[in-house]
Amino acid sequence: MSSIGDLSFARPKGRLPAGRMFGAGLLVLLGCFAIIGPMLIPADPAAQDFSASLAPIGGDFLLGADHYGRSLLARLAHGARLSFGLAFLTMLAAALPGVLLGLAAAWRGGWTERFLELSATIVLALPGLMLVLLLLAFAPGNYAPLFLGLSLTLWVEFYRVTKATTKSVLAQPHIEAARMLGFGSCYILVNYILPVIAPMIATLSAFAMATAIIAVSTLSAISVGLQPPTPELGSMIVELLPYYAEAPVHVLLPAMLIVLLVLGLQLLAQGDHG
Amino acid sequence: MNIQANPDLSIAALSIDSPEGRIVSDISLALGRGRPVTLLGESGSGKSLVAQAIMGNLPPGLHATGRVVFKGTDLLTETPAQRRRRWGRSICLLPQEPWLALDPTMRVLPQVAEIHRFVKEKDAARSNALAKENLAGVSLAHAGALYPFQMSGGMGQRAAIAMAHAADSELLIADEPTKGLDTVLRDSVTARLKREVEAGRLLLTITHDVAVARALGGMIGVMLDGRMVEHAPAEKLLEAPEHAYTKALLAAEPAKWEPQASAASGEVVLAGRGLAKRYDRRSLFSDLDISVAAGEIVSIFGPSGCGKTTLGSILLGLSPPDAGVVERRAGMSPLRFQKLYQDPPAAFAPHQTIRKGLTDLVRLHAKEWTAVERLLDRLRLPETLLDRLPSQVSGGELQRFALLRALLLDPAFLFADEATSRLDPVSQKEVITFLQEIVRETGPAVLFVTHDRDIAENISARAINLDNKGPLETAH
Repeated sequence: MSSIGDLSFARPKGRLPAGRMFGAGLLVLLGCFAIIGPMLIPADPAAQDFSASLAPIGGDFLLGADHYGRSLLARLAHGARLSFGLAFLTMLAAALPGVLLGLAAAWRGGWTERFLELSATIVLALPGLMLVLLLLAFAPGNYAPLFLGLSLTLWVEFYRVTKATTKSVLAQPHIEAARMLGFGSCYILVNYILPVIAPMIATLSAFAMATAIIAVSTLSAISVGLQPPTPELGSMIVELLPYYAEAPVHVLLPAMLIVLLVLGLQLLAQGDHG
Repeated sequence: MNIQANPDLSIAALSIDSPEGRIVSDISLALGRGRPVTLLGESGSGKSLVAQAIMGNLPPGLHATGRVVFKGTDLLTETPAQRRRRWGRSICLLPQEPWLALDPTMRVLPQVAEIHRFVKEKDAARSNALAKENLAGVSLAHAGALYPFQMSGGMGQRAAIAMAHAADSELLIADEPTKGLDTVLRDSVTARLKREVEAGRLLLTITHDVAVARALGGMIGVMLDGRMVEHAPAEKLLEAPEHAYTKALLAAEPAKWEPQASAASGEVVLAGRGLAKRYDRRSLFSDLDISVAAGEIVSIFGPSGCGKTTLGSILLGLSPPDAGVVERRAGMSPLRFQKLYQDPPAAFAPHQTIRKGLTDLVRLHAKEWTAVERLLDRLRLPETLLDRLPSQVSGGELQRFALLRALLLDPAFLFADEATSRLDPVSQKEVITFLQEIVRETGPAVLFVTHDRDIAENISARAINLDNKGPLETAH
């Protein structure tokens, strides 16, 4: 057994690769903008001022105003808060049941696992956006069905990854050894399972949030998600699109914000090989 | 066999450096036709690195200096591309655990034929015919249509040898060719390697098994901590070792141990009657009676795959038998039945430091930490190891920690499942000696599984040979 494994050539611990650092930094900045922004910016994102319609960037309005003369800075801050918040809630609502059901399936096996696998397969067989549209039909323009529909499609990833990983860990000899030494299921869960699945869940969470942000803006852009005048990034793009010729940068601003949010999350989520 | 004065491969002052410092220093050796070299040493002694330096596939970050002259060219001065062109053509590696190195999605015959077709550039029909010959040469003529996962470890090893033979390179490097094989398979693999030497190929073998080195003959180099501590012809080195480590290594060979069987000192702790188990429609054992009494070591031996581990799991209640009953002495806590695992790193949680695992264990069973300290002392484990992860201590030390962990619970029965088969001979002997001492001191019953008949006969008064599907009593 004269292997290289005995020697350590690993990257020194505690330092994230540059890409992940950049992603994290980007998210912190955007997070500040989304959380503190709406409090610091006095302007009401819905207050209209037709005299300032499509005001240029840098004048009375720092980032200009849209066709109704609403402050774009205020609308972007509120939009970012909405996207972030909704994505975070969606991720939580998908991750919690997904992880718990995954653990249950791996632990109990048998019928529990078969039933959960079947449910997961059914959800996967439905196109995700269709599920959301179906729920939205009940209460158009509301937050609740949007968020519920998205988490209903996103939990499967958490469930599948948790189940597969937990199952392979549970099959390892050190779990059998721990049981023979008298350790209970609770100890095994906290000390042996969670440390293995936690990093994977963190990565999945970032991906799920990115997916949720894109989905919410997409749905609002095709006018089935959140309705105007809610300052939602996707619907802002669509509202400003007719004025593209006069104010091209105005249209690009919400789009840029979406790109930066998703980029930050994707960079943060990338594996250690990055 | 004529021994040439001019060696075909000579290594002079080879050193390997990592960013943290030198890990292999000043290795010099020479290989000639009919004069194989065997590097002997424990895990982490750097013997595989020497092989990788010759091949030119050192892990990134490692750098070799010195001279590796192969037929007049210094390999270390060649570019990586030039060196890669030699692989499979003039230099060929027989990998560790070849069973894992074979392509799992491909049948064996085409895997061998590939070498003729793509390395030797023959046509398809000719390649197939040659591959069949190669397989027949290692008695695998019937196995050409099997996938690697349908073969045993020994068959996989022979298939790898057939491939090495097909490559017909001048230099063959065998990296732990007998790891994890039982005695019979080990001897057959060694015999095949010897045949390659007789056919005029250069052979460099890396092993921790003294028996392999003895069978191959030629020159033996003993490595310890990245240095070659002794280098001499096989007969001389094996008969009259000079270095203290070589002496310890030779003394640790199971065949050389002093038999020290411990006899039963108490009543029967665990007994199985009429046990039977089938696996995959194949009977592993049937109508097997076994009993282990306090203070005795009972050995089970037999080749890989004969159901030794399964028998242990049944006795421990981890899996049910198809027939028969297991009886434990009444009134004993199930915690007093413990197991030592074959692969020590697999028996410890990889993320948890050893100290954390032991602290939690002590707290769970309301024991005193002083008990741990006493056992650390007893098993000669330095306290500094406690704060490491299982992957950062050696296999022998980790197996002693596994023993410590089991001993904390005052075991009445210990099932040692090939507990020393992955350790080098010196650590193997150490662990077994400790086990024997513990049995004498505190008297647990031990069921010791091994594929090494010498160990079985040396440490126990009763050895059960599972190969014959029945107990074979060996008296002392």
